[in-house]
Amino acid sequence: MSFGLEAVGLVRNFGGLRAVDGVSFQLQPGELLTVFGPNGAGKTTLLRMLAGVMRPNSGHVRVAGAPADVVSRDWRHRVGIVSHQSLLYGELTIEENLRFYGRLFHLADLKTRIPERLASTGLSDRARTPVRELSRGLKQRVALARALLHDPEVVLLDEPYTGLDPHASAGLREQLASLKDGRRTVVLVTHNLIQGLELADLVAIQVHGRFSSVTDSASLDLAGFEALYHATVEDPA
Amino acid sequence: MSTYIGLVWAIARKDLLVEFRTRERLTSLGAFVVLIGVLFNFSIDTAVVRPQDIAPALIWMTIIFGGMLGMGRTFRLEEQDGALAGILQSPIPLDAFYLGKVLGNFLLLSVMVALVFLVFGAFFRLTFSGNPVTLFGVVALGVLGFVSLTTLFSAMATRSSMGEGLLPVLVFPLLVPVLVYGATATGRLYAGRPIAEVTGNLRMLAAFAIIFTVSGAGLFRFVIEE
Repeated sequence: MSFGLEAVGLVRNFGGLRAVDGVSFQLQPGELLTVFGPNGAGKTTLLRMLAGVMRPNSGHVRVAGAPADVVSRDWRHRVGIVSHQSLLYGELTIEENLRFYGRLFHLADLKTRIPERLASTGLSDRARTPVRELSRGLKQRVALARALLHDPEVVLLDEPYTGLDPHASAGLREQLASLKDGRRTVVLVTHNLIQGLELADLVAIQVHGRFSSVTDSASLDLAGFEALYHATVEDPA
Repeated sequence: MSTYIGLVWAIARKDLLVEFRTRERLTSLGAFVVLIGVLFNFSIDTAVVRPQDIAPALIWMTIIFGGMLGMGRTFRLEEQDGALAGILQSPIPLDAFYLGKVLGNFLLLSVMVALVFLVFGAFFRLTFSGNPVTLFGVVALGVLGFVSLTTLFSAMATRSSMGEGLLPVLVFPLLVPVLVYGATATGRLYAGRPIAEVTGNLRMLAAFAIIFTVSGAGLFRFVIEE
């Protein structure tokens, strides 16, 4: 049986520090896993390994059953990433950024795909605006449009709400909720319990590089999860 | 093959488009070239030293130092707002990413080289009676070798905590052959010597350009991947 996304025994060291320590999980297509954890827990490192940007010291990742190693490039069509950084070029317009990334992903139908993506993220009227002129909230919407341009099966979200005001957060939340279309596998990394829990099917708490627990979010309420989170962070063992 | 060339061009085009809008590197390179030209124009007594004798060395020195100024910032664009992660996460082969960067840098540096010849020609009243195609070949191969090497090391410097400061330390020893063959060939061509006297230099410059470009494309992923 092939999972939408599978991580097996991922380990990553930085010198003497073990940032990710034996993380394993399997996600079915359509599932959204939220990974919580304090600063320095290794969440971003984990996501960078899942995206194929960083090589694990041991362990491996499979995307839709296919090995997703750093050297191989083909499987990257299946993954999109949104980070707390926009991954965009400020001097290029929104349209130019999307066209650039579209070319990197070998997309042939950019003339129709880009306007569609801009329309779905409410950015049609700003297509020719340089990214550096956008607010943080709009930049994140462009970042999402960029990540979804090639229609990936797996979407990785690294602290996407960082630096957003409540209005922009609500807008982005709406966009992220639309990812739960039953087809995409999503991993959301955050330390914000409310924002992370409201979209999650599964939740994991990562402390000192390890997953302390992976739980079905249906069995959790915010207060109960908050207590579990603090107990786990204070005493990971 | 056409897809691969398309990817290389996409990277180069993006770099040139950003440079065209910001003029960040071109402005500093242009200012540097004019400054060097003015400085040597006033410091050299043309009654004692013939400009043709020293101009080739000055031209190559200006290309190398000016080029270093520009090439050190090759990956600064990608550092802003995490764009490098966006490229690394995409399916572009990393050698195509490297060659795109080399092509962008080569075209950018070509503008600077044209300015170098213009400025030095004007200040030193250099006359060239040799074969311009051969001179073009010498300069193009020298610049390609220089750009291929500095692009690779610029990526390495970006990943290092020492940043741009590391680039000259790493690159200068390896650039010596390019400098020697380039300056010697340019000097001979300005002196009106026959083309046969520079074919050896041309071959060496071509060999270095090929070695640096091919090995750069092969080694780039070890430098850029985490």
